[in-house]
Amino acid sequence: MSINSLQERPSREEATVTQEEAREAVFRTEGLNLWYGNTQALHNIELDQRANEVTAIIGPSGCGKSTYIKTLNRMVQMNPIVKVTGKVYYRDQNIFDRKFPVEELRTRVGMVFQKPNPFPKTIFENVAYGPKIHGIRNKKLLAEIVEESLKGAAIWEEVKDRLQENAFGLSGGQQQRLCIARCLAIEPDVILMDEPTSALDPKSTLKVEELVQQLKSKYSIMIVTHNMQQAARISDRTAFFLNGEVIEFDETDKIFSNPSDKRTEDYITGRFG
Amino acid sequence: MSREIFITELDELQQEIYALGRHIESTFKKVVQAMNKGEKAVLQDLIEADEEVNEVELKINEQATLMITKQQPVASDLRHIIVCLKISSDLERMGDLSVDMAKAYLHMPSNQAYQAYRPELDAMVSKVEIMVRQVMEAYDSKDMLKAQQLAAMDDDIDQAYGKLVKDLFRSEYSVDQTAQLAFIARYMERIGDYCTNISEWIIYEVNGKRFDLN
Repeated sequence: MSINSLQERPSREEATVTQEEAREAVFRTEGLNLWYGNTQALHNIELDQRANEVTAIIGPSGCGKSTYIKTLNRMVQMNPIVKVTGKVYYRDQNIFDRKFPVEELRTRVGMVFQKPNPFPKTIFENVAYGPKIHGIRNKKLLAEIVEESLKGAAIWEEVKDRLQENAFGLSGGQQQRLCIARCLAIEPDVILMDEPTSALDPKSTLKVEELVQQLKSKYSIMIVTHNMQQAARISDRTAFFLNGEVIEFDETDKIFSNPSDKRTEDYITGRFG
Repeated sequence: MSREIFITELDELQQEIYALGRHIESTFKKVVQAMNKGEKAVLQDLIEADEEVNEVELKINEQATLMITKQQPVASDLRHIIVCLKISSDLERMGDLSVDMAKAYLHMPSNQAYQAYRPELDAMVSKVEIMVRQVMEAYDSKDMLKAQQLAAMDDDIDQAYGKLVKDLFRSEYSVDQTAQLAFIARYMERIGDYCTNISEWIIYEVNGKRFDLN
């Protein structure tokens, strides 16, 4: 009698796989390689971002996590020494295709950075900035967009009476949520977050985490994080990167309870990294 | 290597479980020996000594809870701690069952029936002893095959128990002897069941999957 011949109890993940798989991929990465000059930073990445899901990217420093998400809005290519091969499809269009305008991509794919980076303007202007450069001039409409975006970023109640104050007067946690509001104002489809809470205190971190959970009903979110508990708490699927490769990509419940690859196991249990 | 202190704590927790298992094995043997020799005072002492096992289990629970709180373990580390909690609870129940055997013996007005059924009881005892020892060895070495083999031994004990109870129904001895004797056999059979429970936890710790061995 072998272990495999014994009747195994079906796991929760297995029961929901069909439903999960039915979700469409917003981003599909196929055989992506990336070099900084002669140094290869990403090796043959295969990864999907599904609609209305949160994908967490974890891995030690220098493993290519940030490089990968910056590839998705082609920000990484602002560096002239970067060379890319492979394909990244955003809703079935290859983002490296010359016919795909990068401005259009960045309108559909918003980004939130590690350090809150509000503009040196009023709170209102920070949020209205994107819609304005997209040609919206109607003040009533702008006010509506600002309110909706600030509400969406769970900061409206805290700032509604001080919209004309400078954004630098906000706390770090509030500034980060303002940056999320600024991102929501251009009605993106996907939000990329590069360690969005690493500069925040625990309370602000929790607020941003709760916000991410709320936002996924409308947006698809990819988040790079060094905080593994955060990845376990808020993501649906987790990718573990190591030395520019995706070692394992699976349901978050699986990754943090019983990963398939020993390197993932060793990383998440703190054996290295 | 990082988290060396935590890894040492995980090893220590496992050693405590192992030691508890050896203690339970020893208690079972002592109860059986005292019953065989009719040493009622020894049985009484063993009943009283069970309180220590409860304390050890509580200590293990506290340590495991603190480790979860402070270290926020995941994957195999978390399974290791969860399994320690589960096994310590199963071992504590096995200790209770050994003590219950002693209590049942003390309730018997005479040990005539007990002695008459010694061959059947001895056969069950030796199998239970092997199971208890083997399950702790399997736990110590995380040996899934060894853990799995216990299922067959448990089936043998179940059959021996079933046969003994049938025989007891037809026996010439008084009900107040045969009923207590049936309890003793039942408690032994339950100890076997707990061993297979522990085997399932060992398999879960190693590969993260639950199997029903009972």
